[in-house]
Amino acid sequence: MQGRVAGYRNLKLKSLAAEASQALAQLDAERLEELALSCEALHRKLALTNADRETRRAMAEQARDAAADMAILGRVLEATRANLGVMNRLREMRMERLEYTVRAPNAAPESSAMNGDGDGNH
Amino acid sequence: MGTINSAMSVITGALDADQEALSVVANNVANAGAPGYTEEEPDWQENTPITMGGIQMGDGVTETGATSQRDRVLEERLDQQQQMASSSSTRLTALNNVQALFTPDSGSSGATAGDIGSDITNFFDSFSSLESDPTDNALREQVLSAASTLAGDISDAANSLNAQSTALSQDATGIATQVNSLTSAIAQLNLEIQSTSPDADAGTLEDQRQQDLSQLSQLIGINQVTTENNGLSITTTSGQLLVSEGENFQLTTGTVNGTTDFFLGGTDITSQLNSGGGQLGGYLTARDVDIAQVLSSLDQLAYSVSTNVNAQNNTGIDLNGATGTAANPLYIFNEPTQVAGSAAAMSVVMTDPGQIAAASAGNEAGDNSNAVAMAGLANQAIIEGQTPSNYFSNFVSTLGSTVNEVQTENTAQNASVTQLQSENNALSSVNLNDEAAAMSTLETSYQAASQVFTLLNTIMASALNLGEETAVS
Repeated sequence: MQGRVAGYRNLKLKSLAAEASQALAQLDAERLEELALSCEALHRKLALTNADRETRRAMAEQARDAAADMAILGRVLEATRANLGVMNRLREMRMERLEYTVRAPNAAPESSAMNGDGDGNH
Repeated sequence: MGTINSAMSVITGALDADQEALSVVANNVANAGAPGYTEEEPDWQENTPITMGGIQMGDGVTETGATSQRDRVLEERLDQQQQMASSSSTRLTALNNVQALFTPDSGSSGATAGDIGSDITNFFDSFSSLESDPTDNALREQVLSAASTLAGDISDAANSLNAQSTALSQDATGIATQVNSLTSAIAQLNLEIQSTSPDADAGTLEDQRQQDLSQLSQLIGINQVTTENNGLSITTTSGQLLVSEGENFQLTTGTVNGTTDFFLGGTDITSQLNSGGGQLGGYLTARDVDIAQVLSSLDQLAYSVSTNVNAQNNTGIDLNGATGTAANPLYIFNEPTQVAGSAAAMSVVMTDPGQIAAASAGNEAGDNSNAVAMAGLANQAIIEGQTPSNYFSNFVSTLGSTVNEVQTENTAQNASVTQLQSENNALSSVNLNDEAAAMSTLETSYQAASQVFTLLNTIMASALNLGEETAVS
């Protein structure tokens, strides 16, 4: 129990948040998935823990320390969501453009062109 | 505690909010690009029913001719992010310079703004010392010396801030010159592109225009509007026209109330520019918002200390038994007539230490009751409901918070730029499979990071609650 408590006092929530921001900025999906698994494990452990008074205080202190880094992570997440939206739209535009580029020379028989026969992927 | 919970609540709200609402920026950018694309490529619009019918043709496609239009939209998004990142970087640099000014001196005897906190304490403490022997000339000299140090440091800080403000004006003026040069070049390129490639990609000319747009985005916040025949109009983010196809409109500067303002077509657009992005936005925000606020606080400090100390001294009797009169008031500091400019003008006007009115009216010259009252000003809420020391301490603390906020903003914006550049590199020269992989990485990263954020937020909320329970019990 002693070792476990000491472990919680060294949670380093701040470092976790900072590393997640860094990994997200660099789109390091692998590292982010590792961090997600670590956080899940940490969350499960904490849920089962009956922490003593001193450990609770230490955890609260950790949480306060991590607030600024969490704010950064939140903002990078928001920016990523916007970027993802743009990328998805670009990809849609690109796909439509590519479809047209391929179909244009065969535009003569209108009905078959519109149905895209022979290309599959319906 | 409440503040942290509030901050977390805001972030969590952002994460949980509706996808459509949160993608407003993204969709705006994409939609802003789409109409221009349609106009340039009317055939693309005609083909829309193929996609709307749900039919997809993925096999055997190539990338022929597909990159230019996509890049324009992506570049616009990149440009927008770059504008915000440039603005916050520039602002952060300026704020760090301001903050450095108020960092306490490391022990040398040089007068610095960072010593103002201890100057305030020393000044009021000198009255406490005088209480013990109000007739002692050495103690009276100490009061004037402490007053002189306080006034000097406040005045020096104000002058340094004014100098920083002037330097920012000069930097901003230089940016305006670069903006004019780039908008002129873009207008010229518009003409060339419209005449040579009204219906198709203009190749190197278009690349050149995009390059100029990227540079322009570093300098100023802009919106891009694609027009007929491959033309382009550019406005500031608040809508003032910088380029209309082949015509550009020059930013000019002028002095208004001693400050360099920026004009477009005769209209003063300084206040719109300072929230608009780019380096120009950063310089103007630092100058007109950040430094202005710091100067205002410093003015308030100087004004309140000077007027209150002067008023208290003027009610007493000096060493010669004299009282202050309208013609010859017993003022220690230069009496300010208004708050604005009080800090820069703060100085000690009393030259004779005997004029310090340690005694209250009606008492002998050896009385110390007015010295006690003046020392007591240190603990009175004489500045916007705060004591002088608390006011200064809160003002420095607020400045530090502002620096941290801008730092956070800048970190997030730079991260977004990094992502876009990374995606752009991945998408610009690869086949469809690589492109799909790049998109997958972006999506996976986002989802994993969302999970990390949600879990960390839950852990933090639990930890804070546990801490609260501990504090209560």
